[in-house]
Formats: sequence, C-alpha cells, structure tokens
Amino acid sequence: MIELQGLTKRYGDTRVVDDISLTVEQGEFCVLIGPSGCGKSTTLKMINRLIAHSEGRILVGGEDVTTLPPELLRRRIGYAIQSTGLFPHWRVAENIATVPRLLKWSTSRINARVDELLALFQLDADDLRDKYPHQLSGGQAQRVGVARALAADPDVLLMDEPFGAVDPLTRDALQVELARVHRQTGKTIVFVTHDMDEALRLASRVALLNGGRLVQYDRPAELLVDPANDFVRDFIGRADLGLKLLSRRRVEQYYQPAQGTRDATITQAATTHARPTWQVDADNRPLALIGGRLEEPATVRTDVNGEWTATPDMSMKEALSRMVWFRVTALPVLDDQGRLLGEVTMAGVMGHRP
Amino acid sequence: MTPRTMPRLAPRSVLLIVLGVLLVALVVGMEQLAPLFRAWFPDQNPAMYERESFLNLTLAHVALVLVSSLISVGVGVGAGLFVTRPAGREFAPLVSTLAAIGQTFPPAAVLAIVVPLAGFGFVPTLVALILYGLLPVVQNTVAGLGTVPPQTLEAARGNGMSAWQILWHIELPLAMRVIVAGVRVSVIINIGTATIGSTVGATTLGTPIIAGLVGNNLPYVIQGALLVGLLAIVTDLAFERLERRFSFGASGATP
Repeated sequence: MIELQGLTKRYGDTRVVDDISLTVEQGEFCVLIGPSGCGKSTTLKMINRLIAHSEGRILVGGEDVTTLPPELLRRRIGYAIQSTGLFPHWRVAENIATVPRLLKWSTSRINARVDELLALFQLDADDLRDKYPHQLSGGQAQRVGVARALAADPDVLLMDEPFGAVDPLTRDALQVELARVHRQTGKTIVFVTHDMDEALRLASRVALLNGGRLVQYDRPAELLVDPANDFVRDFIGRADLGLKLLSRRRVEQYYQPAQGTRDATITQAATTHARPTWQVDADNRPLALIGGRLEEPATVRTDVNGEWTATPDMSMKEALSRMVWFRVTALPVLDDQGRLLGEVTMAGVMGHRP
Repeated sequence: MTPRTMPRLAPRSVLLIVLGVLLVALVVGMEQLAPLFRAWFPDQNPAMYERESFLNLTLAHVALVLVSSLISVGVGVGAGLFVTRPAGREFAPLVSTLAAIGQTFPPAAVLAIVVPLAGFGFVPTLVALILYGLLPVVQNTVAGLGTVPPQTLEAARGNGMSAWQILWHIELPLAMRVIVAGVRVSVIINIGTATIGSTVGATTLGTPIIAGLVGNNLPYVIQGALLVGLLAIVTDLAFERLERRFSFGASGATP
C-alpha cells in the first residue's frame, strides 16, 4: 500500500507537484496520467526518493520512506523506466539479478529467480540469459527491464513510461503481458504514462494530474462516465468516449446464451428463427452461423473461422471491431476448448447501459 | 590440426606480433647490424652506437614512460572522477584549464624550468612527461563518464545502487574504452617526448639520437629513432586491442 499525504515538490517558487494526496491499495494498478509537465514523473520518483519531496509524507507499506536510507528503500521497490535503462555491459541474467546481487542472495537462489522471471515473461532462458542488451529486440529488452524490477520480489513496482519507446504492436503485446503479470503476482503498481488508451487498458485506478495538482482519482469506468470537469473530458477525448468505454469492458460482461443446433440441414429452417442460429458439432464447437449478416437474407450460412470469434476476456472494443470488419452481427464466444459459450451481438453492444 | 580449425588471426594482430618480434630482435640484436650500418655509411666511424647497450637504453626509456604514465593516469583519472562527482563539479573548468596548460607548455620549456629545481636526469624528465601526459587522460575520463546514458544512471540509482557501486560497476566499465583511448594517446606522446629527456641527462632511447645530432652521426640517430618509432607503434597496436575489449554493444562499438 502506498499513501501520499499532501505531497509537494517545489523548485524555487514553482510547485511542480502541489499538495497531492492519494492512496494506492495493496494489489492496485494505479496509473498516473496527465499532459507533459503535469508532475506525474516527479510524483513517481519521489516515492523511491530519486527526487526529494519538499512537503508532505509518503508511506510505503505504512512506513515513512524517509526512515530508510534511500539505497535500501529502492532495493525494496521495483523500478522500471523507458528504454529500460538496461546496463549495456551486463548480460540479461546479470541485469535481472541486479537487486538480488545487491541484497547478496546466494548464486543458486539468484539463478533460480532469473529463470523464474524469464519464464514469467515467456522469454527463452537458454537463448537469452547470456545475451547483451543490444542483442535484444525492443520488446525483449522491455520485458527484461520489467523482470529486473521484479527480481527481488518487491511488493511495490514503479514504472515510468516503460513502454514509451516501443512500436505500437510491441506495446500492445507488452500491455497484455503486464496485465497478466499483475494478475499473477498481485503487485501494487504505480505506472506513469501520457497515453489514455494505455491507462484505461491497464489501470484499476487512474490519477489524472494537471499543473502539479490531482484533478481526479477514480476507477477508469468512473473517469469515463463521470468526469470531474471539462479538463478530464477533453483529456480523455470526447470523440471516442464510447469506444474507450468498450475497451474497458470485457466480452464476459456482455455475452448472452446462443441458439445452437446440430442439425446440418438448418439452412432451410433458419428463416423461422428470429435470432441467428449457430450450427455446432457434437462437442458444441460452432461450425457455421445461419443468418446474422446484415445485407443478406437470414438463410445465408457463414462458416465460422478462428478470426471472427470472441473469448470471454477479449475487450468489447475488439469484439465490436471484429463484427464490423467481418460484417457479421454476432460473434460466437468460445471457451478455451473452442466450445460455444454464447454470443455477443451488435444489438447487445447497444443494449448495454454505459 | 587442419588450417580450417585454426583460429583466424585478424590482420592487426598479425601486425602487432610481427612488429613486436621485430622490436625485441632489434633491441637485443642491434649490434649485429653493425656491418650493415658500416656498409651504408662508409665514411662514418663508428657507425654503431656502443656507449650503452640498446637493451639498457630501451629499459630505461620504458621505465621512464611507465612511471610517468602511471602517475599521469592516476592523477588524471582521479581528477576526471573528482570533477564529475557532485562535490567536485565546480572545479571542472579549473581542472581542464590546468591540464590544458600542462599540455600547451612545450616539454623543453618544462625541462628548462625543472632542471634548476630538481637537477639533471630522470626527475625533470619525469615531471615534464607527467604534465604533458595529463591532458588526454583528464579529458577522456570526463568525456568517457559523459557517454554513460542518463537512463542507465537513473536505472542504477532506482535499483538501489550506492554512489560507489554506480561508479565502480556502471560508470567506470562503460567509460573504460574512452579512458583507455586517452591513456593510449598519453603514453604514445610520452614515448616520443621521453627522448628529449636525454638533453638533460636522462638515459633514454633519445641518448643515441642526441649524440648523433650533436656529433653529426646519422647512424646513431637512425638507430635510436628506429627503436623509439617501433616502440610507439607496437604500444599503440597493443592499446588498440585493449580498447576493443571494452566495447559493449551498439553504444560502445562506434569509435
């Protein structure tokens, strides 16, 4: 748990961080966001005392951070930054082992931990352990950077725009992975970004800062449906509020029971159904959609392929995108065995209250 | 062993080995070339410097360069480290000015000033060489530490390294290639400059050169200059190899 109480940073007469108070609960994923110069990075760096605060208190796990020598404090708090800051003259394994080595862990314990972390980030240990940072792809380097921050198993992880320097595809994959790692490890994370989509995607709570002040601190959904003022509304982006909201929602919140049948001759009978019908095999795997295409008669049969299906943990934004792209009004929702759980429909997206 | 499995030597390594062997051979066997010099300079007698063995001259020369370089490196790296720490930052302009003065002063002038104070021989030469070799070391230490990316330093701090640990484990290894390049320049300059120490009575490979110039004996000059030149080239090639050891990936590979 992290508590900021009246946190202020002054440079001369300028208050770059002005009286910020907020609490990040255990296991929470808190994203600090705001325009450039809003004080978000400064706030983050005051938590591990890379920057000294001028006023107020910072408690990590109930302890005032000023009671510990800064080096010891930082070894207990994971820290990952943009372009990773990996040490170029150390191999991947040595980089990950930075804090454990400072803490004088035994070699066998360090090796085991390095392997564990490489596995957590789905990195091939045999291939990467002995590589130098310049031999890694951008995505691999970022994963190693986050793995290094987690090495000594800190309760708290601070991340300063860690994915700011990678291409959009890699960034996407890294976000998915960080969300998974957060679920798996239950760490308390404070994450700085200026990208609202990234914030909405990852955060369990968003702290929106402007001019050194905390404007709103809320769950992402509340930020979207109940913005505190015009600044928040503008910062989120008025134009695609609806899509942003959908990006926060998962298919599992939307899907409804589907009509499945094993009847292979369903094509003729389909017209009698008001809703589209799924033809399934003996294991309840969908084979085809009968009806469910806007511009064609309700009898048309569309074979299901892997691309226009949905899973319960997919975002509704992606599900909607697939419906639009493949021009169907319904997607089959599949479990991990590929069996039909239900369907999401265009009407279902509209029918759901924001 | 078939040639295919032999480790391939880079052309530079071959050059280093060949010239190194040639240097050693000339140092111990220069006297064997007496007939050659006599044939080349039939009017010159003697045509071979024999007042002192070339081995002794070379060892004295190397000792002078080694001692002066060790002191230059110690003082230079120390000063470079000091002015890049928070406590010494305000001394940076002063130190670089002092080091620059040391280099702009001609070594001959330094000798002229030091001889009345310290007498003739080894010591004044040593002082001149130390002053002369300081600037490249200081400059490259400061420049080398400046090449360490700020994110790397922030990551080191953020991961809980102390100032000493950052210096020792991060800054120095990453700056080492540039620092070694400065030491290389300093040592090479001093190998050449040490020869003028012979004008104030230091024993160096400059001794036969000075004797040759004074006595109008060209073979003496050639014999001394040949060894000094070879020594400088071999040392330079050896430093080049050492520098390459400290390249780390993309950031360090560019010269």
